[in-house]
Amino acid sequence: MVKNTTEVLLNKAPPVRRSDGIIEEFDKERIVRSLIKETKLAEILFGVPPIKEEEARKIANEVEEDIKKMNLKFLSGPLIRELVSVKLLEKGYHIYRNVYTRAGMPLYDVYLIDLSEGYEARENANLQPNPETFHKKKADFLSKESYLLMMPLRIADAHLKGDIHIHDLEYWGTRPFCQDHDLRYFFYYGLMPDGTGTHTSVAGPAKHPEVAILHAAKVLGAAQTNFAGGQGFFNFTVFMAPYLRGLDDRKIHQLAQMFLYEMTQLYVARGGQPVFSSIQIEAGVPKIWQDAPVVYKGKIWKDRYGDYEDEVHKFALALLDEYIKGDAVGKMFNFPKPEVVQRVRYWKEKEDVMLKAAQLSAKFGSTYYDNLIPSYRGGEDGVSCFQCCAYSFSEDGKSEEFKKKLYFEDGAHFSMGGMQVITINLPRIAYKSKDEDEMYEILRETMDIAKEALLLKYNIMIRQYEKGLIPFASQRPRGAPPAVNIRELVLIIGFVGMNEMMQHMTGYELHEHPEAQKLALKVLIEMDRIKDEYIKETGLKFAIARTPAESCAQRFAITDLIHYPDYAKKYVKGDLEKALSLWRETTDLPIYYTNGSHVNVSARIPLYERMRIEEKFFPILKGGNIFHIWLGEANPDPEAILKLNKKIAMESWIGYWSHTKDITLCTSCGFIGGGLYENCPICHSKEIKMYSRITGYYQEVDSWNAAKKQELKDRYRIKLSE
Amino acid sequence: MILYAAEVIPISFSDYPKEPCCVIFLAGCNFNCGYCQNWKLKKISKEYETNIEKIKEMISKNNLITACKITGGEPLLQYEVVIEIGKFVKSLKLKFGIDTNASLPNALRKVIPLLDLISIDIKAALNRDAYLKIIGVDPPLSSIKESLEIALKSNAYVDIRIPVIPGYNDDLETIRSIEKTLIELGYEEKAEKNMASITLLEFVPENAHFEEFKKLRNPSLEDLMKLKSFFKIKNVKISHRLYSNYG
Repeated sequence: MVKNTTEVLLNKAPPVRRSDGIIEEFDKERIVRSLIKETKLAEILFGVPPIKEEEARKIANEVEEDIKKMNLKFLSGPLIRELVSVKLLEKGYHIYRNVYTRAGMPLYDVYLIDLSEGYEARENANLQPNPETFHKKKADFLSKESYLLMMPLRIADAHLKGDIHIHDLEYWGTRPFCQDHDLRYFFYYGLMPDGTGTHTSVAGPAKHPEVAILHAAKVLGAAQTNFAGGQGFFNFTVFMAPYLRGLDDRKIHQLAQMFLYEMTQLYVARGGQPVFSSIQIEAGVPKIWQDAPVVYKGKIWKDRYGDYEDEVHKFALALLDEYIKGDAVGKMFNFPKPEVVQRVRYWKEKEDVMLKAAQLSAKFGSTYYDNLIPSYRGGEDGVSCFQCCAYSFSEDGKSEEFKKKLYFEDGAHFSMGGMQVITINLPRIAYKSKDEDEMYEILRETMDIAKEALLLKYNIMIRQYEKGLIPFASQRPRGAPPAVNIRELVLIIGFVGMNEMMQHMTGYELHEHPEAQKLALKVLIEMDRIKDEYIKETGLKFAIARTPAESCAQRFAITDLIHYPDYAKKYVKGDLEKALSLWRETTDLPIYYTNGSHVNVSARIPLYERMRIEEKFFPILKGGNIFHIWLGEANPDPEAILKLNKKIAMESWIGYWSHTKDITLCTSCGFIGGGLYENCPICHSKEIKMYSRITGYYQEVDSWNAAKKQELKDRYRIKLSE
Repeated sequence: MILYAAEVIPISFSDYPKEPCCVIFLAGCNFNCGYCQNWKLKKISKEYETNIEKIKEMISKNNLITACKITGGEPLLQYEVVIEIGKFVKSLKLKFGIDTNASLPNALRKVIPLLDLISIDIKAALNRDAYLKIIGVDPPLSSIKESLEIALKSNAYVDIRIPVIPGYNDDLETIRSIEKTLIELGYEEKAEKNMASITLLEFVPENAHFEEFKKLRNPSLEDLMKLKSFFKIKNVKISHRLYSNYG
């Protein structure tokens, strides 16, 4: 390319195409001004004073000289910015460079995203290819890159190296994690989906049952725009019950069906996906709610929830009936996840609900069992729930504050949820340490980084919340207390790979030797103790939890293969050979670490042994855990499942479990049946879709990442042959 | 006590009605069924030799089951083992059942006091030609009848299982003939007390023993529904991958 003669003669820099769509003459003063303005971020984020004007001017001069030497036909804003960034790095101004650089993505990746390939095409199985998703992917990339630049290097590096995993990084600066809402709030104050009532219409409290159902669905949809993770309702059947008085069974079923369709057809959340939702199904009225006044139609009434036992029971049955029926083509409703509460009383008086829950497990595997019977769950004296990916939140019932919430005094209500999850890489900790003592030191160091990151997130969220930038959460209709109490959200430290950590420390996997189980318990108790210290020190809510680890079980396995190849090669699960052969082509590799403190999914041990090992960890993992039962049968007997459920509920420490049934759907002939088939067993077509539970929810297998697909292959099912 | 057992499924939700059960596969069979999916267990071989204490330990540790079922092979070929396991299972207050091809009435007579459930395979109309085509050996028809009679007179729940094989036994005549035999042997009174049922099983060609059976198609759900409608007696059920008894 030949340069314009005037520019050559004057030895002038070429015109600049600015990123905001303007072309103008090069002006080095712009560099000076932008450096001074933007390096103020270094002070805000890292406490480093901004660049001095003379230094900025010097840099601008040097960059101008460089540009002239390059003999370019045109310049762009981004190009100049990167030239300045290089100059900053040359001069050792790493932090200025971090805040001055651009975040974005290579053009090639943008191209691939629009074709549903490339960048994280399979990171979240709940995201289907569609225009909304492609838009979200680009925004995600930009956000993730920026947030890593904006956090202290120590934390960003710990994430990048794979010591820790910051979940939902794309929402680091904008959204808290998850929330279980108190429906009474919306039945009392009405609904404003935008949280301010300026962009959406404002609805008064629902007066009719249909409207109550629609409001409930819209609360979750609206809340999802403010949160990164799952949205749900605890005590759903109880709070809905007053609206159902006097309705016949057919009508109650109709309402239940409406809700399931709303929740699976509002295809609008985060990049066009259904709301990640859950509802807690109580078969009757829990003891603590018996005497609480009912709240609906905008008022607090004289009746008590205890007066609505019959409606609660009928609604629970109706919901489960509709789940069992499935949608118009006979497919399961994968959301809202039904969390069926287990109480001793229900096993005596509401066995019909327990049976329907088992029937749903037998048909689709969709039931989750929320077991409040073990003493560590706080039983009848508190409020608690399992949410979205099996995180658990609770409030215990002793305080005055609790009573106010129970009675909805001045709008006081429960708001349970998580602020942020950070997962730590346990196998890595083992690799780094020479003995058990050192392992505890490194565990502490790793947890400290997680804590530091969680506190940072907390402060960012408080800032956003107070500026009204999480408006659904902070809404205060008619002077009500805010819908979500941001300060009560739990800071969650998750973990992956207890099994592989034990393999390295003791030479045995969890299922192979009691030695491994003993040490695992010791590690968990230590994590619990450290967590208690954090609570004391900060006054904030911390919890330890098993992580769903949809993508991070794979990421840790990969980062360890990079940084600790000798160890990782021995311990990662899945198809290592295939992973190594694909190494340079993709990061979507079929290897993983075992989730949380679970037993290796392919361990050939009976269910009761798996349960005996995993149940021990439940009382410590108050932040959440799940026990998976992988069913291998096409048509398990619901009553047999019912009996197993009763044993688990009454005789074990398992606080949360589900039966996973693999399901194949043929799009040519409409076959839907249990088991995974490559070809349709009826019409032999290859046009099939396979569904299974990925971590804490059902989704089509095709959209899973390679590691999770491998794990599905590796799962040892209960039954070996038909 | 030495026994020949191929495997134990620690927990199953489809081998014992309404109960989560463990299933023990004993090796050895006196039939040679072309459709059989457990044909690898036909021969008693050294590799299957194990000790009964091991089996007992697996049952007693398993706190999640409410029943135990012995299948095979033909379990009654090792009826002393069945009795030993049966006594142990009953001592744990679990339910106990077996699968049998009904060819060994004398063994059945010894075992039956321990049984809560007996699943009997009836593979065709009880005539020589029809049976021979499926089981591949000269059918002991009088023994099969005798076993049916013992079972139907016992206190155990009796499930008559008919593997439906297209072209072999999926016709009106077969059904009428089996029905007639069952009525003669007292099925109806037992069914009246809900202590007997008939299950039409979907045959799965992919897992069949012989080539000629592998080439067949599996019966469709509609086929099974139609066969079911031919029965006049009660408690006829269907077991098909597409069908569950709960809607």
